[in-house]
Amino acid sequence: MKEQLYKKELRITVLFVVILMIFGHFAQIFKLFPSLQGGSMWGFPVHYIVPILMGWFGLLILAIIMAVVLNKFDDDMDAYTSSLEDKNSGDTV
Amino acid sequence: MEATEFVLPSMWMGIAVVIILFAIFYYVGWLAAKKTTSEEDLYAAGFAIGPVTNGLAMGATWASLATFMGVIALIYKLQAPFVYLWIQWALSIPLLTLLYGTCLRRMKAFTPASFIKVRYGNEAAIVIIVWMCLSMVMYALGQMIGLGMAFEVLFGLPYKYALVIVGIATIGFITMGGMYGASYNAAFQMVVMILAMVVPMSAIMKAMGSSGWWFPPLAYGDMVPGMLKQIPEFFDMKYDYRWYFALIPAFTMGPIALPHLAMRVFTSSSIKSARWSVVWFILFLGLLFSGAYTAGFAGNFFTAQTGHEIAKPDQTILILNVFYNPAIVAAFVVGGAIAAGMSTINGNLMAIAGLVGGDLLGILAPKMPGAKKMRWGYLALGIAGIVTILLAFSPPPFLVTSILWAFGLLATAVSPSILLGVWWKQANKIAMIISSAACGIVYIIISPHVLSNIVVGKGLVAALGMSGAMVTVPLSFASFIILSFVFNKMQMAAPSLEDKKMIDRIHGWGIDYDEARYNGVAMPFVLVILSAIVFYWGMQPW
Repeated sequence: MKEQLYKKELRITVLFVVILMIFGHFAQIFKLFPSLQGGSMWGFPVHYIVPILMGWFGLLILAIIMAVVLNKFDDDMDAYTSSLEDKNSGDTV
Repeated sequence: MEATEFVLPSMWMGIAVVIILFAIFYYVGWLAAKKTTSEEDLYAAGFAIGPVTNGLAMGATWASLATFMGVIALIYKLQAPFVYLWIQWALSIPLLTLLYGTCLRRMKAFTPASFIKVRYGNEAAIVIIVWMCLSMVMYALGQMIGLGMAFEVLFGLPYKYALVIVGIATIGFITMGGMYGASYNAAFQMVVMILAMVVPMSAIMKAMGSSGWWFPPLAYGDMVPGMLKQIPEFFDMKYDYRWYFALIPAFTMGPIALPHLAMRVFTSSSIKSARWSVVWFILFLGLLFSGAYTAGFAGNFFTAQTGHEIAKPDQTILILNVFYNPAIVAAFVVGGAIAAGMSTINGNLMAIAGLVGGDLLGILAPKMPGAKKMRWGYLALGIAGIVTILLAFSPPPFLVTSILWAFGLLATAVSPSILLGVWWKQANKIAMIISSAACGIVYIIISPHVLSNIVVGKGLVAALGMSGAMVTVPLSFASFIILSFVFNKMQMAAPSLEDKKMIDRIHGWGIDYDEARYNGVAMPFVLVILSAIVFYWGMQPW
């Protein structure tokens, strides 16, 4: 259980850091792949408006997912540590 | 081309707006003063701020006067690439919260230096406190200069008189209210900022002939053809890929260690509430930032359309409002800019008070009673404000420069200490002190601001600290990790069992300690390799 929790903590932290960096630095995608720069969206060049949207709504959706996933992880962690404390107090009675 | 400067048509309107705003700030400060009875209240608002208020306050603390003045000036000068630079600021608090904010909130730290003190000891904490205070003063300096300039144009006062008046008035309400006052005032200030940025832009866009006036932050696409006709290169992705990558070490890694942002996370009523605060923060900040991009776009469009060159790009949003909107609206926008500057100074000075009054005094006089420590905290707050006013008498030419440069310093000297301290049990105290002090000094030396003949990079990338941070941030991570292995092997200040237990505890493991947890070699090894690559890349000619 604790091994799984530990791995999960590392996995979700790394995953969220990577996605946050991609969303917040989305312009780099257009610089790395210049062929993506051609189109337009809502009247703007895509390489201008997409990074703005990803840096706002992209991050917003990600932050909601982060809050849900990490708060659920905290609940799992609390359940695990509570079970340990119960076990310890049971041992000492 | 005719040069245009900002002059508010009615000075009395400006005075009325400023008096109303200050009356509200002081009232909130006075109410908050009555709730402040302990150090927890003074530095962390009793760990009791809810997610919406905190999300607003986070946005206000982060979005400084630069959002109203400096960024629009730089979009005006540098066009689209500067928008890319600004977008990534939204990562600051989400990354901070994810990587260490909730861990430190769990230990009820007042500032990140509180953690450094427990994790590495007093000497290491003093090094970090010095770097943080330096960066906070630099940061507050940028805000104070902007406030002085705003009062200068608002009241027609000489800059130095304007600076003293606004500076003392600002320090007054911050000192009165502590973190409770700073939190509630910042939340109110964010509302003022968003309204002042977005609503008047709607009228400006309508006057400019845009059909997207109904939602200024994103609906100005029909102005693009006109813009491209006048300024064909506006959307060009100028600069090579390295310029875009350098934003990460210089401007993403630095704000992670900003104490005034971390303190906003720490004020949350719970860890879960802190995460929901981040959601509100992104929503509000995105609205404000996108409004600022619109203003920068409209400033360029204004010049192209009317032939009026904006003499002082810092004043772009003010000039647009004077040109297109009634005087009362222009006065309100000045109020928004003032709110932006004040909310950030709030955070900066509270951070200095927490660092000096909470952390430093805890080291120098650990037995001092809490009430006396609080008095010292208030004193530190006031003195930091006065020092900032004095430094602001000789402002740098660009408002944003001094702030952005300080981010690279934090990314170099502080971020590795916090991140490795939270995530790696082998992080060694002596290695931290050496890498932080040495790499921080190298960052200062290779910037063009100190020794102009020893500079990595040139022009704006050097002035903003981008080229410098690309060298010193990886150097700091790599040297910290390598020296930690060396010193631990030599049994010099190796982390104690209690240090390691603390790391497990702040991650939420309670009494369950496991030596193997956060103790691998793969993560630090990969970091050293990545750091070496980035360092080599940064050393190539710019």
